[in-house]
Order: sequence, then C-alpha cells, then structure tokens
Amino acid sequence: MTKILQGHHLTKRFRGLVALHDVSFELNRGEILGLIGPNGAGKSTLVSLISGTLTPTSGALTFEGRSLLKITTHHRAHLGIGRTFQVMKPFPGLSVLDNVCVGALFGRDGGEHRLEAAREAAHACLEFVGLGHRVHQRAEALGGPDRKRLELAKALAMKPKLLLCDEVMAGLNHVEIEEVIEVIRKVRDQGISILVIEHVMKAIQSLSDRLLVLHHGEKIADGPPREVLADPRVVEAYLGRRRS
Amino acid sequence: MTRRTRRVLVTLAIGLPLLAALPWIASPVVVQFGINMLIMATLAQGWNIIGGYTGYSSFGNSVFFGLGAYGVGIAMAQFEQPFWIGLGLGLLLAVIFALAIGLPVLRLKGHYFAIATLGLAEVVTAIVSNVPIAGQNVGLVLPLLKSDVLFYELSLGLLLLATLTVFWLSRSRFGLGLIAIRENEEAAAVMGVNTTRYKILAFMLSAALTSLAGGVYAYYITFIDPAGAFDISLNVKMIIMAVFGGPGTVLGPVAGALLLSVLSEVLASKVTNIAGLFFGLVIIVAVVLMPRGLADLLQKFRRSGWRYFAQNIRSHRL
Ligand SMILES: Nc1ncnc2c1ncn2[C@@H]1O[C@H](COP(=O)(O)OP(=O)(O)OP(=O)(O)O)[C@@H](O)[C@H]1O
Ligand SMILES: [Mg+2]
Repeated sequence: MTKILQGHHLTKRFRGLVALHDVSFELNRGEILGLIGPNGAGKSTLVSLISGTLTPTSGALTFEGRSLLKITTHHRAHLGIGRTFQVMKPFPGLSVLDNVCVGALFGRDGGEHRLEAAREAAHACLEFVGLGHRVHQRAEALGGPDRKRLELAKALAMKPKLLLCDEVMAGLNHVEIEEVIEVIRKVRDQGISILVIEHVMKAIQSLSDRLLVLHHGEKIADGPPREVLADPRVVEAYLGRRRS
Repeated sequence: MTRRTRRVLVTLAIGLPLLAALPWIASPVVVQFGINMLIMATLAQGWNIIGGYTGYSSFGNSVFFGLGAYGVGIAMAQFEQPFWIGLGLGLLLAVIFALAIGLPVLRLKGHYFAIATLGLAEVVTAIVSNVPIAGQNVGLVLPLLKSDVLFYELSLGLLLLATLTVFWLSRSRFGLGLIAIRENEEAAAVMGVNTTRYKILAFMLSAALTSLAGGVYAYYITFIDPAGAFDISLNVKMIIMAVFGGPGTVLGPVAGALLLSVLSEVLASKVTNIAGLFFGLVIIVAVVLMPRGLADLLQKFRRSGWRYFAQNIRSHRL
C-alpha cells in the first residue's frame, strides 16, 4: 500500500503549552484512519497542521511524497487536502448552495472555474450528504446537525484526495450518526483517503481500518482498532477517563 | 440569481436614461449637485468592493481618491498633458499604492486593518505636501473647462463602469472568493481561495475605480491641495453611503449615495443650522433599524413587515 500522508516527529507548542509532542504517523491511500484521544489530546491541532491553518514548531509532513511545510493553506487545498472544522466555520450570509459552491470553485487543482458546472457539482454534494432540500436557505438558518452536514459537503465539493473530518458526528443522534457513517464509507469507496476524529466509540470502531491514539499530545498507540482498544495504556488514558 | 440579475438590469434600463437626461432639463445648480452625487456614488461603489464584498473596512480609499486627483493635476498642470493621460497616471499611482500597501495591511483583521488604513491618509498628505512636482502644500491649479454637462455625463459613465464592475463581481468566481473571505477567511483559505492574492486584487480594483473618480473631480473643481485631496471625511462619507444602502450588494451603495446626497442637500437648504444634526440622526436610526442597509430592507420587509425592525434591534442587542 502506498502512503498518501506521513508525519515525522511533529511537535506543536502554543507558548508554554505542548499540544503535540514528537508525533509520527502515516496514512495509506484509500484508508480510513481513526484519530482518538481525550479532550485536549491534540487531535484538532494535528488536523490543523495537515491542512495548513497551523504550522508545526518542528517536524515534517509529506503529502504524496512532497513536503507540505512550505506550502500555503490554499495550495494544500489545490493539492487535494480537504477538512471540516470541529468548531464549524460556515459562510453564514451565503446560501447553503453557495457555501458548497466555494469548495467546487476553488478546491482541488484550483476547482471548476465555470459557475454553472460548480453549482451543479455543489448541488450533487448536498444531495449526497442529505441536505438537498436546504440548498436555498442561508447557512446561518441551519440547525446543528445540518451544519455538520454542510461542513462535510463543503469539504467534499473540493474533490479532495485526502479528507480530514474533525468530529462531524458530535451532537448527532443515532440515526444521523448512521447516515454520516454511511456517507463516509461511500466517500472512501470513491478512493478518497480519510482521517476521522471522533469521540463516538462505536462509530469510530466500525469505520476505521486503523486507529491512532493521542494522549497529552503524544502518540500512545497505533494499529488495528481491536488491538488498540485493548491496549492497557489506551484503556487507562482514554476509556478510563471517558467513563468517569 | 436570475431574478437578481433581472432586477439590476431593469434598474439600469430605467434609471440610466433618466439620470443621463437630467442635465438637459435641470438647472445648473442641480447639475452641479448631480456631479457631486454621482462622484460620491462611484466612491461608495468603489469602497463596496473592498469593504462590502471582501469585508475589509478601508479608510485608505481617500488616498486612492487623492492620488487619482493628483495624477490629473500633475499631468495637466505641470506637463500640459491631456486629461486622459492624467487619469491613467492617477490610476497607475493608486493601483501601485494599493499593491504596495495591501501586502502588509491586508494581513490585519477587523479594527486593526481599519486603524492602519486610517493612518495612510495622514502619511500621504505629509509626503505630497513636500513633493515639488505636486505643488507642495500650496496645491495645483488645473486648466478650466467650463462644461458641467460634460462632467456630469463623465461622472455618470464612471458610475456605470463601477456598477457594471461590481455586477460582474457579484456573479463571478472571483466575487464569490471575496465573499468567502468576508464570511470566514480561514475557511476560505482551507477551501482553496488564495486569500492574500484575492484581497490585494480587490484592494487594487477598489483603488482603480476610486482614483478615476478623484481624477474627474480634480478636473471639475480645477484646484487641488493635499488637505482637500486626501480628506479622510470623504472616506467616512463613502462608508456611510455604502453601508446605508447595503454593503455587498450591486445597487445598494448607489441607492445609498443618491438618497443620502439628496437628503443632506434638502436638509441643508431647508433647516440650515441643524441640518447636520438631522443628518446624523437619520444615519443613527437607519443603522439601528436596518443594519444591513436599504437593500436588505427592501428584500426582507416584504416578508416580515414591521417585525423586520424589531428583529434587527433584538438581534443586535439594543
Ligand atoms: N490556538 C491555540 N492557542 C493556544 N492553545 C491551543 C490552541 N489550539 C489548541 N490549543 C490547546 O492545545 C491542546 C490541544 O488542543 P486540540 O484542540 O488539538 O485538542 P483535541 O484533541 O482536538 O480536543 P477535543 O477533543 O476537545 O476537540 C489543548 O490544551 C488546547 O487548549
Ligand atoms: Mg478537537
């Protein structure tokens, strides 16, 4: 299997606070990698390093064999990296369709430049995540679950090769979670490599090919879900705390 | 989209001939008022690109206006070049200035950007006051062209150019990129918008239109000096007009400029000494009751009636 993304000894410091410490990992092409860990473990920080909204204090990142470090955020989008935000960042004043349209117009390889074609692609993405009936509403009028779906549609409209999902299931009910899992599976079937951050254990377990566990900014486990979740360090660090 | 497009086209088709015919039927005083009004509308529209669409409240646009004025002033008064050459020179100066200054200041967000651009006018005034070719702090006297009708139609043409530019913007990939930056810059970058380049291009486009208005105005009033050309209160006016009409819309800033120009003129002639007070009150009330401008009022009032105002007051926590 070829690697689409590799992180080497990534460290991120915010002034005194070490959010990530010496984390190395890799993501195979076509794989779903689950990223878990307690609150504040550094999961979102890692996603931000990959998407370029944060720069690492030290360490290296390679995407399809090329170093990402000197590559700007928008250029990473053109290379095929798409992400969702845990703290959702819709374009509130724009219609749901135009929100997604931005992804289609500017995404991978600079996007589809023709407005009409981009609109159609955006529409298809919205249908895909189950927001087809909301296209003409303003994004700010959407409720929580629909905003999560919108985040996903915006990233998908970019036609990414690598999709980074930061808690797209948080706050959804069981039925909605099942729907999102189904959507992510279908995305993978299109050949897109995926990194999912999720606190919903059942979801992440059934979805991931492999799990990566962070704790206090350090990698404490990496491997097949079953093995990782049986690892005593993981049980202590993550599951132990969640239960309390 | 098609409905919005039609509305713009219909407004242009009706409004343009009416405006164009005005100098042939109205008195000279009205024509002079019209020129000022059209220049203001062009400035509001120019500001709309960087302030309304891109979301960067620029106080540097009065510098673009001044550079446009000085382009014409220097070309005509110092080198006896035709007006058009002066317009080109002013445009070039303004666009280069926007490019040079855009790189550092457009990195600043929100209030910081506003404050940084606020300082620009002072700096440029000081510089120009010491440049011999610009007439230092004495200023420049331009050749006189006594044809208000010509200036009127020229200003109208300029406003049309600015409005068509914004119209194109509102339905282009570039424009959607700018709006995305305004709505959430980080999300825009993550989705592939080259935010730095787009912001600078918007600033340059805004500068270009604004400088043209400055050039026309300089020729019209035939005299420019640093204090007048780089007057920051002109910048405040463009913002008020654009925001009153509806920033980030195609026709809002134009409507805002026309309406407020007429209003302030009427107030000034009817109730001379408290006109300023009235004008201020109108603006405060308007911003409180319809913070997103006339354009938003026209769109939403039909749906929610008087509740529209109540909602605005509530949602802005007054
Ligand atoms: N921009 C920032 N400035 C300062 N500290 C930050 C910043 N972003 C994150 N942190 C800190 O870095 C640590 C890791 O945060 P991060 O958001 O990556 O955690 P997380 O694993 O995503 O947690 P959660 O499960 O709550 O989303 C936290 O202690 C957080 O407070
Ligand atoms: Mg997080």
